[in-house]
This record gives sequence, C-alpha cells and structure tokens, in this order.
Amino acid sequence: MNSDAVVIDKLTKWFGKFRAVDEVSLRVETGEIFGFLGANGAGKTTTIRMLCGLLLPTSGEGRVAGYDIYRDTEKIKRRIGYMSQKFSLYTDLTGYENLWFYGSVYQMAPRELKKRIAELSEDLELGNFIKRPAGSLPTGWRQRLALAASLLHRPQILFLDEPTGGVDPVFRRRFWEILYRLADSGTTLFVTTHYMDEAEFCRRISIMHHGRIIAVGNPQELLVEHRQASLQELFIQLITQQECV
Amino acid sequence: MNKIRFIAGKELRHILRDPRSLFVAILLPIIMTLLYGYAVTLDIKEIKLAVCDYDCSRESRDLVARFYHSGYFVKAGATDDLLDPESVLESGKANLVLTIPPGFAVALKTWRPCDLGLMIDGADANLAAAASNYSNAILQSFLKEYLPPGTELPGVTLSQQVLYNPDLKSSHFFVPGLIAIILMMISALLTSITIAREKETGTMEQLLTAPVTPRQIIIGKVLPYVGLALLDGLLVLLFAVFHFGVPFTGSFMLLLFFGVIYVVAALSLGVLISTLVSTQQVAIMAALTVTVLPSVMLSGFIFEIRNMPVVLQYISYLVPARYFLLIIRGVMLKGSGIGVLWIEAVFLVGLAVAMLTIAAKRFKLKLE
Amino acid sequence: MFRMVLALVRKEFYQVRRDPVMLRIIFLMPIIQLLLLGYAINTDVKNIRTAVYDYDRSDLSREFMRSLGAGGYFVTRPSDIPLLAGERGFRENRQDVMLVIPPGFSRDLKERQSVTAGFLVDGTNASSAAVAMGYANLISAEFNRELYRLSLPVTLRQKVLYNPEAESVYFMVPAIVAILLTMVTVMLMSMAIVREREIGTLEQLLVTPITKPALLLGKAIPFSLIGLVEFSIALVFGVIWFGIPFAGSWTLLYLLAFIFLFTTLGVGIFISTITKTQQQAMFFAWFFSIFAILTSGFFIPIQNMPQSIQYLTYLNPVRYFLTVIRGIMMKGVGLEALYPNIIAMIVFSVGIFTFAWLRFAKRTK
Repeated sequence: MNSDAVVIDKLTKWFGKFRAVDEVSLRVETGEIFGFLGANGAGKTTTIRMLCGLLLPTSGEGRVAGYDIYRDTEKIKRRIGYMSQKFSLYTDLTGYENLWFYGSVYQMAPRELKKRIAELSEDLELGNFIKRPAGSLPTGWRQRLALAASLLHRPQILFLDEPTGGVDPVFRRRFWEILYRLADSGTTLFVTTHYMDEAEFCRRISIMHHGRIIAVGNPQELLVEHRQASLQELFIQLITQQECV
Repeated sequence: MNKIRFIAGKELRHILRDPRSLFVAILLPIIMTLLYGYAVTLDIKEIKLAVCDYDCSRESRDLVARFYHSGYFVKAGATDDLLDPESVLESGKANLVLTIPPGFAVALKTWRPCDLGLMIDGADANLAAAASNYSNAILQSFLKEYLPPGTELPGVTLSQQVLYNPDLKSSHFFVPGLIAIILMMISALLTSITIAREKETGTMEQLLTAPVTPRQIIIGKVLPYVGLALLDGLLVLLFAVFHFGVPFTGSFMLLLFFGVIYVVAALSLGVLISTLVSTQQVAIMAALTVTVLPSVMLSGFIFEIRNMPVVLQYISYLVPARYFLLIIRGVMLKGSGIGVLWIEAVFLVGLAVAMLTIAAKRFKLKLE
Repeated sequence: MFRMVLALVRKEFYQVRRDPVMLRIIFLMPIIQLLLLGYAINTDVKNIRTAVYDYDRSDLSREFMRSLGAGGYFVTRPSDIPLLAGERGFRENRQDVMLVIPPGFSRDLKERQSVTAGFLVDGTNASSAAVAMGYANLISAEFNRELYRLSLPVTLRQKVLYNPEAESVYFMVPAIVAILLTMVTVMLMSMAIVREREIGTLEQLLVTPITKPALLLGKAIPFSLIGLVEFSIALVFGVIWFGIPFAGSWTLLYLLAFIFLFTTLGVGIFISTITKTQQQAMFFAWFFSIFAILTSGFFIPIQNMPQSIQYLTYLNPVRYFLTVIRGIMMKGVGLEALYPNIIAMIVFSVGIFTFAWLRFAKRTK
C-alpha cells in the first residue's frame, strides 16, 4: 500500500545468542509522527538500523517507502534521513562545511545545495553558529545542525534516534515545533524518545521491551484502555507487568 | 591510592575486553622474536657467484670448489652469457662473477704473476665488501697450499678467541636487544594512544570532573601498561633463554629493576606525546617517529653507534634504549653487575626522572 | 559518483588542514626518517676499539699496530687495565677487541719464525665479531707479505659495479623511501576508516546513498596523495642531500609506486574491516609493517635467511617493490630486467585490493 511509509512484519535480529529484536511487526502511515518508545536496550536502535539499511536482519519482512529492506537499501537511503543518538558530524569541520559535505554526498547540485543550506539555517535558526567548528557548539545547536544535515535532501521519512537527549526544555519545545512543521509538509517522522511529554506529541506510539512490541496505538486511546492518567504511568505499568511475567 | 586502583582496573578491563589488541600485544613480541632470532643476521652468506673458467685445469677447478665449499658462496642461477659478466650482474642472477684466465695453472706452477677477474655488484655495499674479503681470504689459503715445495710462510698469525658468544650466534645479540624495543613500543605507543583516545572520545573530560587528580588518572592509566610491557618483556626473555639458548649469566633482579626504570622513561615519553596531540592518528605517528624509530635505529640495537655521524651520536645519548640495551646485554651475556654498569644506570635514571618531570608538568599545564 | 568522491576528498583535506600537528608530521616525518635511517643504517664494521697489550715495545710491534689501524677498521690504543683483569674492558663496554703482542715478537719475526699474537673478540655482536676476525687475518697476512717482500703469483683484480664508492646509503635510501610509503599509507588508511566508525560519522555516511566505490575511493585518494607526497619529499631529499645517483626512469618509478599503492591501501582497508578501534587498527598496521620491513630485504639480505623464511618473503609485497626501486635508482634498469618483480607486484595489488574491497561491507551482518 502506498500510504504506508514503513511496514515491518516479524522482523528479527539475533546477535550471536542474544535476540535483540524479536518478531516485531509495525505499520507507520505516511505523514504521521510515530513515537517508538522503550526502555534502554529494548531494541529500538537495532530496529532503526535495520530499517536504514545499516544492519542485515536475521529474518522477517520489511518495506520502507515501498522498498524492500533486504534488496533495495540504496533506493531507501535516497528517501530517508537519519539522525543518530550519537552526534555524528565531523567535529573539526564547521557547520557549513558539514552540510556542504553531506549535500555533495547526496549529489545535490552546488546551486541548489547553497539555496537549501540557506533555507535550512533560517528554518532551524542556525544563524552564525553555522560558521563555527561543529565540535565547539553547545548540545542544542549540535542537534539542530545534525537535523539540518539529515534534512538536506528532503527525505520522505526521517528516522530520529533520541534527538533531544541532553537538551534543555526550551530547546526541546522548539525542536518539536520544527518536527511538527515537517510532518505538516508531508514528511513521515519515526522518533525514539525517553521523554513522555514528547510521546504525547506523536500521533501513534509503540512501546518496546526486550525486543518485543508490547503496546501500540494512539496515546489517548492507550491511556483509556489501560486506565492510566499519564503516559509516564502507562509506560512504567507496562514495563513492570512484563518484568513480572 | 584507591582511586588509582579503580582507574587502573578500568584500563585493565579495556585491555582484557579487547581480545584483538591483546592477541596482537602478545603475538607481536613472539613473532618479532622469531623473526629477529632466525631471520636477522647481518653476516653475509650465500653470495651468488658465477664462475667463468677459461683455464679448465685441475687447479682452477680446485679454486672454484674452495669458493663453493667455503659456505659463503652459492652457485648463481642459470647464467648463459658469461662472456659478458656485466649483463649477468645486471640481471641480478649473480652478485659476483669470477673470471679465471687461460694459463692460470701454468702461472701457479711457475709462480709467475697472473690476474683473476672479480666483478662485484656494489649495490649492496656490505655484500660487496664481504664478497671481496671472503674471496681474498679464500685465495690466500689456496695459495699457501700451492707454495713451491720447501718454502714456508713465516710471520704473524693470530690466535683468535671469541668471548661471551663463542658460536657467534646473531640471535644472542638481537633477541635480548629486542626486549628493549618491545618494552618501548608497548609503553610509549600504547599509552600515548590510550590517552589520546580518551581525549578524542571526550571521556577524558568526564574523568577530570570526577574527584580524582590528574596525577592519579595518569598513574592509573599507565599502570596496566607497565604490567603488559613487563609481561611481554618476560615472554621474550623466556623465548630468548629457552628457545634460542641465549645465556643468562647475570642477576635477574638487577635486570628487572632497570627494566622498570626504563619502562617509566618510556611511559613518560608516551604521556608527553599525548599532551601534544589531540587525535590518535597523530599520536601514533608522533610516537613512532620520536620513540620507536630512534630506539631501533639510534640505540645500537642493530647498528653500531660509533659508526654514525657525530651529530647522531650526540642525539643517541637522549635515547633511553641505548642505556637499557647495554645493561641487558651486559647482564645476560657478560654477567655484568652494577659495578660496571653504573654509568649506564645513572644516565637511564636521569633520563627517566627528566622525562617524568616534563610529562607531569606538561600534563598539568594542559589542564589549567 | 564523481561528486561524491570529490566531496569526500575535500572533506579529508579540510580535516588534515585543521590539524597543525598532523600537517607538520606529514612533512617532517619523511625527512627525519630519511636522515635518521640514512645515517644510522650502516652495517660497515669500522672503528673497532682495540685495546693493545704490547709486551714487545719494538718498532715491529708498533708497525704491526699501525697496519692494523691503517684501513680505518681498527682503532688501537694501549690498554690501561692489567692484562689479567682485561675482561673488565669488555664488560664496561670500552673495547671490542683485546690484542696481546707477546715479548720476543720482533726477535722471532727477524729470525723468520712464526709468532702468535693473542686476539680476543667480544662476541656479543656476532656478525661484527666475525667481520673483525676476518679483517684482522687479512691485515696480518698483508703485513707478513710486506715484511718479507713476498710476492704472490695470483692476485684478484676487482671491479665493483653500480656503487663503486661502496656507499651503503645509496642502497638504503631507495629502500627507506619504499618503506615510508608502505607504513604511512597502511596506517593512515586503516585508521582513517576506523576513526570514522569510532566517532560515529561512518554510520551517518552509510545511511546516505553513497556507493562503496565512492566511499573507498574518497578515502583512498587523499591518503594515496599524502603517501605520494611523502614519497616524493623523501625521494627528492634523498637525491639532493645524500647525492644518490638516479640512474633509471622517474616515470617508471612513479607508475610502479602507483601500482604498489593499491597493495598498501588494500591492506589498510582490510585492517579496517577486522578492527573496531583505532588502537586495534594501529596495532595491526604495525604488525604488518614489522613483518613487511624485516622480510623485505631492507637491511637484512634475504639470501642470509633460513630457507623457510626465504619462502615466506615471497609473500611480502614490499620485497618486490624494494627490488624494483633499487633496480631503477641504482642500476637504471627497466622493464626488461624487472618484469618478474613487476608482475608479482601487480598480482599482489590486484589480489589484495580486490579481497579488501569485497570484505568491506556497507551493511553489518
């Protein structure tokens, strides 16, 4: 189906004898903000790395932007953006040099790239920070720069792995405003986070534990279903339930 | 002290959890020992000799046989064009070409002058010099036997005796020296890299915010490498003694004592380098250039210091390996004690203290 | 593709330019190494320190010492240690040889009798001890001949080709240049890839549609250029400073250096596929370099090694490059004499590079 940005079915990954991702099935619609929640080590990053073509799944099916995650990784890569939880731009290059570098790797024409960088730095209010070596930037600005780098080629789907870790509340709020604008313009967002207030911004969320998805749905509906007042409580309840089992 | 133990424990776990590096850290000394023990001999043997014998007499064949039986020369590969010795050398099939002119046997019997031709490939100057010496020596002993009857050569003969290494085994020279090189490699190279690594990945900042002093961090970080280095040194030592049969005539405790001082000097150099660089890539290049290279080249490990230009000889006084090499060879092969090695010991301790002080100063300065 | 490669190359140069220490090292390292190695590598046995106990004190004994010292091989000086304690001189590392001239030396010689002088050698350095003994024998034979005006009928008329002044530096510098190219490119290449993996930028690169050829070329080109620059600095410096004659073709040399680069870059890429941290990569690169240097014939002639190790040297790609560079520089030979080595080089380059290329996976298993 064309309206689904990400479809995975029984996706599984073994690392030796350790099952990091266990028969995960999911469906993310085009244009929605999907919150991918879970405790640390639940298998979120592993799942994202398989979707982005960085890691070969052990078994299961998956399609991203309509393309198979086993065979068509190169086509997928042209249509997705990825912002990892670790800051992964070159610290000894300036923001502008970093953006120019990644744009060139996406084979953007110089004139277009120049325009796009100007556009993004205005959108993300990068201002003069773009001229400084990336390593010298405060965390919040680093995250924005990393976001800009993953948006250069106007991806259809954006994977964000804990994008707001270590960022102050004001910055986080602004960051999410940007994400909202992106979703409005039709970009699908696949976000992992530990902040439950952020999860409430998502149209749908899933909660992962020990490699399995233990709940998925609209945040409000999930609260009603499990008779909880806040996502925080819901998350803790579900995880402790699982631990007891 | 406790804090140092924690940091050392952390560093030790880093080392142990990294089986690949550990594998190389243990295997590298062994392979180096085998290579140096077996492959590295500077004596020149098996020189490829091609002979062009125009005389074809019993005498000329006897002379040629002496060349090949000397142990220094081997028959060169197929050489079809002996009329042109130069082209034989150019092809690399032979290192030297001996030409015996017609009339050689007659000249010998009548004791009349006769010139043999010897064309040598001089590309490798050492090989050329050795080939020339060997040839002359063989010819000398050949001539002695063809002296006219009744004559005897009077004069000086030398009664030669070799001390400490009577079988003239190269491995007795190189393998103990290798311990000095390996201690330097492990200590200086690894510490400079491990500190640079913490800087590069940002964990150094993390450590510095913890309630530990910079000195504790450094001591804690280098301690496991002292252990690793000494372990490697011991490994090579065991190989030297039991596999290559290198004699150990002196005191082990004395050697260990100087080994520790030497390692301190090497580690200080490593720390010093790490304060000057910010990435591991640069750390390794710098460490290679200022620690390993001089230790191999300027210490007397392979090449005699006294044959170097004076400037290099002066520089070699700053190379800790120079002193440790003399100590380890003295202790192992000659059974020397502190009584004769005290000059080296003083220099080594002096260098270690100087390097440690500079490194500590630089490290503190860098943090402020 | 072209733009991707260009972007990577430019990025790499920006990074090098930002790191002043790196820059300095890149340009200073070849010169320091060349100076150090060029002057230090000298296996000539000269200046053998000889402590003399002359119990004859005659003109003839002094004449014998003079001829011993004449060639620059032995430096004689009277010993200040009593003969019975003479070994201390070896332990204190003050002498290499002890020469004992017995009383009655000149009397016996004048009576045309044989005289035996004591010659004790420190055998610690086995090869120089052997050479010292050989020299001493030759010199004393020569001394005898001159003393009694003996003329031997047969003499050797020697001619040394290619390096008539017997300068070992001429032999060493071409090899140093080759070794430098090997070490720098293997280390930089392997560490460059692993470094990006360690700091996380490699992952960011791999989610872009960058192709494997673009990625590997983009990494390989800057480091080959750096390698070639170092190679050239060392080469030009060697020719000018040490006055090394360059007999052959520069074009052929650079062409072959270019082919050889694929070997070292291949090794670098391969190392990056089996290591996770720069420390590991450095270790493996160092491991390779030591093997490559020791078994290449750099300063230890291959023909002296045991047969089994001689076979092993055929597996060392540097061996062939060393033969080639020495052949071109010193003998001025071309393809006709070097083709077996060149073929071996090409086989290794293609083989190693292809193997590394196939092993390098963009997606982890």
